[in-house]
Amino acid sequence: MGKPTGFKEFDRKKVPWRLPVVRINDYEEIYTEPKEELLRQQGARCMDCGVPFCQSSSGCPIDNLIPEWNDLVYHGRWKDAIERLHKTNNFPEFTGRTCPAPCEGACVLGITDPPVTIKNIENAIVDRAWAEGWIEPKSPESRTGKSVAIIGSGPCGLSAADQLNQAGHQVTVFERANRIGGLLMYGIPNMKLDKMQVQRRVDKMTAEGVTFKTGVNVGIDVDPKELMNQFDAVLLAAGATKPRDLPIPGRNLNGVHFAMEFLTANTKRVLDKHDTSLFINAEGKDVIVIGGGDTGTDCIGTSIRHGCKSLVNFELLPQPPEMRAADNPWPEWPRTFRTDYGHEEAAAKFGKDPRTYCILSKEFLDDGKGNVSGIRTVGVEWTKKEDGGWKMDEIAGSEKVWSAQRVFLAMGFLGPEQYLVESLGFETDARTNFKAEHGRFATTVEGLFAAGDCRRGQSLVVWAINEGRGAARAIDIYLQGSSLLPAPGTTLGTTMA
Amino acid sequence: MMRKCHLNTCPVGIATQDPVLRKKFQGKPEHVVNYLFMVAEDTRQIMAKLGFRTIDEMVGRSDVLQTDAAIKHWKSDGLDLTPILKPATKMHDGVETHCTIPQDHGLEHALDNTVLLPQALETLETKQPVVIESSIVNINRTVGTILSHEVAKRYGQAGLPDDTIHIRLNGSAGQSLGAWLARGITIELEGDANDYVGKGLSGGRIVIYPPKVSSFVAEENILVGNVCLYGATMGEAFFRGRAAERFSVRNSGANTVIEGVGDHGCEYMTGGRVVILGDTGRNFAAGMSGGIAYVWDKRGDFNLRCNLGTVELERIETEAEQEEVKTLIQKHAQFTGSPVAEAALDDWDTFLKECVKVMPTDYKRVLAELAEAKVAAMA
Repeated sequence: MGKPTGFKEFDRKKVPWRLPVVRINDYEEIYTEPKEELLRQQGARCMDCGVPFCQSSSGCPIDNLIPEWNDLVYHGRWKDAIERLHKTNNFPEFTGRTCPAPCEGACVLGITDPPVTIKNIENAIVDRAWAEGWIEPKSPESRTGKSVAIIGSGPCGLSAADQLNQAGHQVTVFERANRIGGLLMYGIPNMKLDKMQVQRRVDKMTAEGVTFKTGVNVGIDVDPKELMNQFDAVLLAAGATKPRDLPIPGRNLNGVHFAMEFLTANTKRVLDKHDTSLFINAEGKDVIVIGGGDTGTDCIGTSIRHGCKSLVNFELLPQPPEMRAADNPWPEWPRTFRTDYGHEEAAAKFGKDPRTYCILSKEFLDDGKGNVSGIRTVGVEWTKKEDGGWKMDEIAGSEKVWSAQRVFLAMGFLGPEQYLVESLGFETDARTNFKAEHGRFATTVEGLFAAGDCRRGQSLVVWAINEGRGAARAIDIYLQGSSLLPAPGTTLGTTMA
Repeated sequence: MMRKCHLNTCPVGIATQDPVLRKKFQGKPEHVVNYLFMVAEDTRQIMAKLGFRTIDEMVGRSDVLQTDAAIKHWKSDGLDLTPILKPATKMHDGVETHCTIPQDHGLEHALDNTVLLPQALETLETKQPVVIESSIVNINRTVGTILSHEVAKRYGQAGLPDDTIHIRLNGSAGQSLGAWLARGITIELEGDANDYVGKGLSGGRIVIYPPKVSSFVAEENILVGNVCLYGATMGEAFFRGRAAERFSVRNSGANTVIEGVGDHGCEYMTGGRVVILGDTGRNFAAGMSGGIAYVWDKRGDFNLRCNLGTVELERIETEAEQEEVKTLIQKHAQFTGSPVAEAALDDWDTFLKECVKVMPTDYKRVLAELAEAKVAAMA
């Protein structure tokens, strides 16, 4: 709580980002160095609520001990703060940078005032800990002799690997890309999460005894059944990588890309300056990004750094309200209008927010040479039906043609790719996700587990960590009969009910 | 949810006196209505699952409860807690587990209804003084309270002129004699009384002394029970004898004279004057923040039994204060015929030397500030 009256004395103030006009010239992180006094004051705003909703089911999915480390930061006890933070979160520097922070949406102070800057504080604790050298490789004291293979090295696979390794199991992580990290590495652009941050954790885990194998596409390069024989348990953490498509006329024209093709290739070029083989350049182009989520924002930020000529962002849904609507009360995640880094940069460069709402793409237009030259759209109107659902109607006469030589589709993901399913013969659910119950994470095949986006569908980094930690515990119990590994929603020292 | 009610920092403006925070209060009566509807709905759903139509059917049905698996723990392995859920019906045949017989308060037998009101009816309309005499026994509880209700209905807080309805009782009074006694009513009891005499006293006067024929030493014997004058706000009470524990707790405005009290006297008191012509039990004045107590400390060891957390011990200083205390003791002598009071008045100088004034620190500061402000206003 820091100071009982802190929330009355200090206003919410976030650690500022670098100026948009400066930061769009490079791929360095958008963040600035936080001032300790600011963080102390913001930590003091935490009220140490009797029931901290930041840790509730509406708040942090990994039960971060938020009021505790807010208090520690207020008292300048940074080393204690990172210890508390690491108790529930393997990678605070990932969530501190990329999490939409449901904790802040559920903060009790948010009922009447702007909530505590929990995400900034989390990020500052871990950055400081790295800078001070407090985070060092620490290998488990003994080995169990059991081995686990993890397929996929995103936040779920990595957190499961970290947990299982610390429990003494011999962990091998398989990744089909040339670098470890999954979406952390190639999905999220460098300006939001510096790849050094990911690599530093990978290096630490390598020093602690985790084996990482890159460039191995399990199911293509390696028979997954072999892994099942070779390892005592296998965890599928392959992510939900099947993008939602927009099957309208002209979809096959050159210049229409899935967001991930664009972002992955860009990060490859940032990291390996020579590697431009797959690079999709938006320089001098009219760019349209379809989809108003985080990936859409990343496409905007990346296109601007390329030096695009113009930029528009389509969103099918209406613009969210400034304040919470009546049907979206605290402590639910607030569905309100937010301006993320990409929007801010587009506004700085082109003088206005790039987002256009209630717009439906009807056709990609051909320049006559097989390249996209624009999109024909129609405006839509949403009305609430009697049964509470929403109805979308096209507005007559609202057709419009937009010029575009680059179109990026950032409309979310449909689920995991299916090639592992056939070779291993486990069941999937109605949405093609790998079927396994949260908490147990066991698939229908003995010794085979699934967690993260491939099990739950596309979600947040923090949910991936939730599942990674939970799956590690479930696998530990499978291998050892019981587990001392903590996982969200469990009690230490208990076995699974 | 916040559990900060004790810090004055309730962020939603509920449990706070801070005007800035109180502005944040967003509650509406409709929210309470909603909440209760939802509680009812949830309850209905649970009841339906269990197959119950009414709460009455559910009472005692511990057979439908299940133990939460989450509390399975090696430490609880040897424990069998099922006996604590054994319903009463299993132990005795034919017992009910919920209310089947409405409670009969027997109000029509209350002394107020049988004796006091019939004789006071005329006075209530005409304000003509009346004297009512009655015997009393300890099944007569809360005597004078229904009558006070009638006074308050007609005349509000102002009540009637002092002593308009004078009730002379003889015997042993039950609990809560003269509770919330309204102004204009005097209860004079020759005998003794149970607990809670003058609880919430609201302007009336209570006088109690032992039977005139008794031979014991009144100031060495308990005359009234525990928690007398609890939460009294106005009025007077004179006791020719001692009270048991917790005398005058949370008194906020009544004046009283007594001849000795048990433990925890004047705890949390915030107003009024308490004169004790005898000794006290331990922990006197704990949390006392207002009003003044005067203790005739003949042995000179009162400080050992006083809780000095919020009060200071002083002597009576000004003439005006002397006069105030003297008037109370004179009344005590007059109403109860107390020889203890006579002795104090007879050797007033010695009394003044031996009398300890229990003065709450904050109360003293506030009185001084008020006096200063008054002087400033006059200048």
